[in-house]
Amino acid sequence: MIIEAETLTYSYDEHLAVDHISFSVDKGEILGFLGPNGAGKTTTTKMLTGQLIPQEGWAKILGIDISSDPKKVHERIGVCFEEKNLYPRLTVRENLKFFADLFGINPDLDELLKRVDLTKWADDRAETLSKGLQQRVMFARSLINDPDILFLDEPTSGLDPISADAIRQIIVTEKRKGKTIFLTTHNMMEADKLSDRVAFINEGKIVALDTPENLKLKLGKRALKVRMRTQTGFEEETLPLDDPKTPERTKDLLKTKEVATIHTQEATLEEVFIQLTGRKLEQ
Amino acid sequence: MNPQCVKAIAKKDTIAAMRNSLVLMGLISGILFAGVYYVLPASVEETFDLAVYGESQFFSQFGEEEGIAFHPFGSPGDVEKAVDEGDYVAGLVLPENFDSLLMSGKKPEITLYFDSEQPENVRTSITYFMELAVESAALQTPLPQMEGEILGEDMAGEQIPLREQSIPLYLVMALVMEMWTISTLIVEESAAGTLRAVLVTPASPSDVILSKGIVGIGYSLLVAVAIIILTQTFRGDLPVLFLGVLLGAILSVTLGLFLGSLTENIIGSYIYVGVPLLVLILPGLVILLPGVSLSVMKVIPTYYLVDAVNQILNHGAGLSDVWKEFAVVGVFDVIFFFLGVTALRRRYS
Repeated sequence: MIIEAETLTYSYDEHLAVDHISFSVDKGEILGFLGPNGAGKTTTTKMLTGQLIPQEGWAKILGIDISSDPKKVHERIGVCFEEKNLYPRLTVRENLKFFADLFGINPDLDELLKRVDLTKWADDRAETLSKGLQQRVMFARSLINDPDILFLDEPTSGLDPISADAIRQIIVTEKRKGKTIFLTTHNMMEADKLSDRVAFINEGKIVALDTPENLKLKLGKRALKVRMRTQTGFEEETLPLDDPKTPERTKDLLKTKEVATIHTQEATLEEVFIQLTGRKLEQ
Repeated sequence: MNPQCVKAIAKKDTIAAMRNSLVLMGLISGILFAGVYYVLPASVEETFDLAVYGESQFFSQFGEEEGIAFHPFGSPGDVEKAVDEGDYVAGLVLPENFDSLLMSGKKPEITLYFDSEQPENVRTSITYFMELAVESAALQTPLPQMEGEILGEDMAGEQIPLREQSIPLYLVMALVMEMWTISTLIVEESAAGTLRAVLVTPASPSDVILSKGIVGIGYSLLVAVAIIILTQTFRGDLPVLFLGVLLGAILSVTLGLFLGSLTENIIGSYIYVGVPLLVLILPGLVILLPGVSLSVMKVIPTYYLVDAVNQILNHGAGLSDVWKEFAVVGVFDVIFFFLGVTALRRRYS
């Protein structure tokens, strides 16, 4: 296992932010880590990246206990933060060069800039960039040391759809190269599309951990939505897929009504989350 | 400690600081302030220059050896104008036939003008001197003979001009201004959240603190050297002077580290740094003010730096003379270093 967490626990004064969570991530796997604000996502990420020392439990990254030897781990991971944290007075290239210098490496910065489509802004100061461009610089920064594990916190937040898709493509490419990715996101579609497995965290506890398909199958509603024309407009009827009467009712509707569209109504991860926790992810 | 990280952070901070207008302003203003040096008098005036209207053999007998020089003017109005314009310490207007009036037992009226900026002790001294001289002339008796004994080294003719006395002030000001640089670098790193990004690389909190300390000391020494060059202060024991400047730079940087750890926003840092900065400059100012006791300043760490620099530059002191002052500054360096590093490590961890 590339990431192993065992009964990780952390409290801020009286508030138990992370409550004895255990999970593991395999090499080349993308784990989507989902939960509403304050659920414990950031605290978990901080413990996994050595920014916080667990009050209970332990985490091993690449087989190394992160609490006892964080610097050895830091050499082999890349972290992309949600909040913008670039050096505003340094240019994009200088920001990346600085981090390359910290790792004592000399990567091809032009190639990296090209990958994240930042070549045009290479010599602009970070403070002059839009939020989306800054996000791309931070993403590029997390790749600078060609890390074995990427910890990505809302990597596409604030990006336009095309840029967001470009970042997702890079994430998929990194996965194909055998990199492990710990993806924290609010974006259900993104998590569903990219993650091999997703973990739902709520009030400091992991409430579900499985592949998106399994979660949707186990906990989602399978239904068929039929939309029909009427004299005054449209009407809809939802038919449960698992109901034995559904095939007959569908035939009946096709015969007797002017059916405009029929769609399967697969449960979304959002619905699964609500079903599990009674909360929305955006809360 | 990771030398490659220290080098990278120091390089980054040097670039970032030079692009920070506030830091740059502090750096340049410290140097520019030394320009005041050229406005201050380059020599000590040991003679009272008096503008005089009227003839008298009594006054003409006093030469410059008494420390008073008489400059004749054509009218009482010219005397008044010359004193008013600050060209003379005082003006003396004697009535017509002053000597004969005096000799005949009358009391001729003498008018004394004083420049408004002359201190009370100067006005009183000149008045007493005039009264004594007139009384001596009237009574036909010589002035009393007084034997003055100088205690310590006689500095007559060798007094230290104000501009030379002011150099410790410029050095201290420039050094303590670097407190601003270092605390700004620290606060910005926290406020921008960049510290989190740095600490998930091979760099440790110690690397961050050490590199910022190196940048701060580098800037301090740069400014101090600029001031020494600008004021052409190539005298005294220069290696000992540089040792003092280095200790002062460390004092400024360690205090900057500590003060920078107390707040997480730029505005807060201005308050936390601004007040101590003014206090630390005080000993440098007080040394210029006659009559103010420096002993009350002994609780301020920079007092010992000012005192040592003053002794080195203006009294030819060497290491054997100022080692105690250096030791006190060194103790403060160690105290602030531990306070700063402890506070920052706590925050960064």
